[in-house]
Amino acid sequence: MTTILNRKIRVLDLSMGWAGPLLGAMLAEMGAEVIKVEDTQFFDWWRGSLSVAPPEMQPIERAPTFNTVNRGKLGVTLDLNHPRGIELVKRLVATADVLVENYSPGVMKRFGLDWEVLQPLNPRLIMISMPSFGYGGPETESRGYGNTVEAMAGVTGLTRYHDAEQPYTLSNALGDPTSGLTGTFGVLAALNERESTGKGQWIELAQVEGVIPFLAGPIIEYQLTGQVPRPQGNRNREYAPHGIYRCAGENAFIAIAAATEDQWSALASALNLSSDARFASAVSRKQNEDALDAELNRVFSALSLEDALARLQPAGVYAAPVNSAAAVLGDAQISDRGYFVAVDRAVVGTHLYPGAVPRFSQTPLKADDPAPLLGEHNGDVFRRLLGMTEAELAELEAAGIIGTAPRQYSKAS
Amino acid sequence: MRYGALSDIRVVDLTHFIAGPYATKLLADYGAEVIKVEPPRGEGGRKLGPFRANGGHQPDRGGLFAYLNTNKLGITLNLKERAGRDAILRLLNDADLMVENFAPGTLAKLGLPAEELLAKFPKLSIVSISNFGQDGPDRDAVLNDLTLFARGGWTYPVGEVDREPLTPPGSLAQYMGGLFGAIAAMQAVLGRKLSNHPGQHIDISLLEATVATMIYETVTFQYVGVTRERAGKRFAVGPFLIVTLKCRDGYAGLQCVTDKQFEALCGLMDHPELVRDARFATALQRMVNNDALLKIVEEFFLQHDRAWLYREGQARAIPMVPIPSVAEVLEWEQTKVRGFFETIDDPELGGIRIPGASLRFSSHRPAPARPAPRLGEHNRDILEARLGLRLSEATV
Repeated sequence: MTTILNRKIRVLDLSMGWAGPLLGAMLAEMGAEVIKVEDTQFFDWWRGSLSVAPPEMQPIERAPTFNTVNRGKLGVTLDLNHPRGIELVKRLVATADVLVENYSPGVMKRFGLDWEVLQPLNPRLIMISMPSFGYGGPETESRGYGNTVEAMAGVTGLTRYHDAEQPYTLSNALGDPTSGLTGTFGVLAALNERESTGKGQWIELAQVEGVIPFLAGPIIEYQLTGQVPRPQGNRNREYAPHGIYRCAGENAFIAIAAATEDQWSALASALNLSSDARFASAVSRKQNEDALDAELNRVFSALSLEDALARLQPAGVYAAPVNSAAAVLGDAQISDRGYFVAVDRAVVGTHLYPGAVPRFSQTPLKADDPAPLLGEHNGDVFRRLLGMTEAELAELEAAGIIGTAPRQYSKAS
Repeated sequence: MRYGALSDIRVVDLTHFIAGPYATKLLADYGAEVIKVEPPRGEGGRKLGPFRANGGHQPDRGGLFAYLNTNKLGITLNLKERAGRDAILRLLNDADLMVENFAPGTLAKLGLPAEELLAKFPKLSIVSISNFGQDGPDRDAVLNDLTLFARGGWTYPVGEVDREPLTPPGSLAQYMGGLFGAIAAMQAVLGRKLSNHPGQHIDISLLEATVATMIYETVTFQYVGVTRERAGKRFAVGPFLIVTLKCRDGYAGLQCVTDKQFEALCGLMDHPELVRDARFATALQRMVNNDALLKIVEEFFLQHDRAWLYREGQARAIPMVPIPSVAEVLEWEQTKVRGFFETIDDPELGGIRIPGASLRFSSHRPAPARPAPRLGEHNRDILEARLGLRLSEATV
């Protein structure tokens, strides 16, 4: 199948977790050859822990998240704490267009794989580093994860119910997908620039700086008004109703909003609300929002979620189910467009995974190739790209530089 | 700030509000020429605010517009007029990209259907961002931030166990959609440059962008058959402790995932014996006894300040963070030393600090950002000087 890149771009992905691997997977969707490099001892931590199941169960091949964000990649292993492993990374770098890493600052330097070392090996190389807080500044060495990055960007502080102080972490570690996507855009921009200059470059993306732009509104509001914006919870500052209400049945919630007079009338008639002076105008609805929420909770508690949606959605009111994972998989709009794609992956079998978001009219992105097993493509990659012989491969394996089983297993035996 | 990586790319920008303008802002901030085309009365995003308190006169843009439209050129055209459409066609003649986030079907209604534009301008690709995508049973339904988060799966696992779920704040998912839009634009350009592909139409659904960035649940559910439920101040009940907790002077977050971090946390709490406590000795036991563990950590946090927790946590490689307000983010030493926020001299709002470029390219020193255009600011430069058009008042 024709893809955007037709294998013309080769990517070395040294990253772990979500942010960096997502970047590699996005490039794989376009038809780049993406080689994921893992250490057989310090393999991608998103594979999970060896301790949860015996070796014959292959526990680190059963992580749903790892298997999602590493689709379409080739998998190789190298001992990055051994000079020979580092030497082989350098030889791979010489053949690559892009290197992705999201280690803490300083780690690549400790490996001897920092930009100053790699750039002379391959002047066309584009390298992207994605530390939590950036190179430079008092927090250079600080630890962060998706959730802590989200907090430091100011998102957690804004995530509170309207009537309580407790802040909440979002459900999706916002820093990770945001950095993965922002980094993808950066690599594509650098590839564009390389077409005219012939030169690669180093891109730095501090993950927290990828998230802060999403809060431009409240950040500017604070400057213009001198007030720190108050979290609104499920409410809207301007109008009511705007909230999440419990429907009949277990864990069934509906999100609704009526921003205009037309939407309010449509909502009132769809729910057969009796006329009430407290809710007669936009101003009085906002003033009596507690009472309005109580009334809506009363009405919805007698309706199933399906019934409530069937009344409100055709009426042009903002209305959506608060979808659980299972409900997202069954959502009519999402499945009608064939968003989820089936992928058959060794060890775990066939499941549905989120598909590529951009839908191209001519050269569709490809999201249905599985994630690699640990070291699955050692032979292919090292033979094809580095010209290794079978004897060399066997020797590296015997020396523990490459392998297909976690090194911890061989130590134990 | 403005970098130069995309300086050979020309974009005709028909977007409005947030998702579309964020996509074209990324293109403009990294060097593309973006011509923002607004209806003669301005796009709706100008009215989103925030505005100055007691600002006196009503400015022609709020703060969000000022942020989302830096580095763009601004012209006005009435696309319902033939002359307006003709002007668009002239602009598309030189363009690599057109980006739009009208309701599906609008382009065709305006007499600018995507297929015809692609046939006429072989170099051109069109990125369309919409709520639900260009097809499907709900294509034309209404959607806002609250219902987008809810339907896309972000909301369900957040909040107190005995309360309604809590929506994420603001328009985060729309920015995600904008990121996908900018990525798709570059994918289309590279397909042409590297593989000689023709221009393409790219369809982006905000709902799918929301689902795509919430991968924990949908795939995990299929593997293990369990849905993550609301766990109060905890991210989830699992073999870890990811939680936001009250401390002496506010709230702080903790992300304790590995055995090593747990051991360090026990040391910091002055309870090294907990490492060997039968309730917490393994990750699995910490999941089973998560409530008991939470209680111990909760009491510890209450006795300390945010700054102390942060400092001591970092010293032991335990990710602990204060929960800053946006005011504190703006004044955070890290963003200051790195020069992340950039002051723009907005012609209407005055000096404001906006988030700068997230991506730092070694090939360029960034130039200062050009403020968002006033309504029709570049009509003369683009429509008259470049295209040689003399348009009537009905058209601009």
